[in-house]
Amino acid sequence: MIKTEVYEQVLFETVKRGATELSADVQEAFEAAILRESNPDAKNGLIATLKSMKMSAQRENPLCVDTGWPIFYFKVGNQCQLEGGFVELENAARRAVAKATKMGYLRATMKHPLTGFDPGNNIGMNIPDFTYKFVDGDAIEISYAAKGGGSECFGGTRHRIVAFADGIQGIEKFVIDSFTASARAGAVCPPSVLGIGIGGTANVAANLAKEAACLRTVGSRHPDPMFTKIEEDLYKALNSLGFGILGAGGDTSVLGVNVEYAYTHIAGIAVATSTNCMVARRASSRIDGDSRVTVMKSPMWFGDR
Amino acid sequence: MAEYHLTAPLTDSDVEQLNIGDIVYITGEVFTCRSRLQKYIFDEKHTLPFSTEKRNILIHNGPIVIKEDGKWRLVSFMPTSSIRFEKWGAQSVEDWGLKMIVGKTTMGEKTARMMKEKKCVHVSPRSVSPNLWVDSIEVQDVHLFDELGSIEAAWFFKVRDLGPFVVDIDTKGRNLFDRMDEKIARNKAKALQELGIDPDFQFTKLY
Repeated sequence: MIKTEVYEQVLFETVKRGATELSADVQEAFEAAILRESNPDAKNGLIATLKSMKMSAQRENPLCVDTGWPIFYFKVGNQCQLEGGFVELENAARRAVAKATKMGYLRATMKHPLTGFDPGNNIGMNIPDFTYKFVDGDAIEISYAAKGGGSECFGGTRHRIVAFADGIQGIEKFVIDSFTASARAGAVCPPSVLGIGIGGTANVAANLAKEAACLRTVGSRHPDPMFTKIEEDLYKALNSLGFGILGAGGDTSVLGVNVEYAYTHIAGIAVATSTNCMVARRASSRIDGDSRVTVMKSPMWFGDR
Repeated sequence: MAEYHLTAPLTDSDVEQLNIGDIVYITGEVFTCRSRLQKYIFDEKHTLPFSTEKRNILIHNGPIVIKEDGKWRLVSFMPTSSIRFEKWGAQSVEDWGLKMIVGKTTMGEKTARMMKEKKCVHVSPRSVSPNLWVDSIEVQDVHLFDELGSIEAAWFFKVRDLGPFVVDIDTKGRNLFDRMDEKIARNKAKALQELGIDPDFQFTKLY
């Protein structure tokens, strides 16, 4: 049985780490982008951004002033026992977000959608958001993602049903069109981590896209060669567009392109995109059944990627 | 592309010399706002409780500011997207006598026309680097804190060589991102061709 005080502390530490520390894979992608950048202003922008990100870890302050929508992903072992059960896990996650907000690791960004009421702690109806995946074992893996307003609000997240008649051409055209529209003037804070969901109902595709954007290790590849090819082709195509950091020109427009899929209906193919901003904030921790806590370098939400 | 270090309050000639693509750094007294403030003033018809005559640089921003030992401390700062405030952009430039708006993205055509008429520019960041900025910003005061909350309040900052920002709308009415659009459209056509997508491709209409 994992005690409430154990998982509550891990939840808080994970939120804090996600808000203040750049993930190792994102840092590597930044370093590679700096090396290949030929536009001097874009290169300086990437260097300044990476420098600020490293300072955030030392100063323990947010990587970006917009600390985003608080989103939790729990990968739960079938034999995992939590004191108070999953209702208490979610309560503890809410307390962790409220505490992180009070301590200045998160900005009080969540508001009522109609009145604009600000609860001051990022807690409200259906927020934070929780997603579960069940696996063998007795551990729980906790991932926290902070989905930024820029990356979410300016068309980086959208969907379309593509006819089988249009196939991969239709899918790739939709992705290129969507990204081009949403990265204009740096609206989605490129270079982006682009998630693409193919198949399922529209919401399944959208969830896969979001998980691919927020949780997939940057630089990982889908194991199925058909999807690897889409990832690699789109990565090359999107980086040839020339948006660069914040859209004012440069060689890197995406840090990664991650595709996940589900089987779909014979009637059509739902395709969804989700862009994550260049900071791509997330953090993950694992608690084993014996309450041993491990900091995870990457969420490993989709098996080994 | 030239580099300018400007001091607020800005004059017409300060901003008229700027061209799209130029880099600017700013020093002096500025203020912040987000949509809630503009809605409060322009839609809900409240009066702005301060003068912008000598504070004519607006930064679209919702900072993280906390109070420590009775003093404000800026934790994080990053200009936010201006385009979402387009509804009130032209009126802000006109009524508040703005000479510069700092924000991510850009403003729309209506605001750009007003900026040309009233001599105002829009500048945007080229990095997400809050820690390189917070040390050059001093929090002076805050207005409408109780009415609008910490993020949407009007913060008064005194900034020291804050930048670099790129000029994306100049007083000639030009927009840097319109120029980018032309370049990106050409790159996009080439990218689609390399993906093997027919230039005349049309989606099968399902709805």
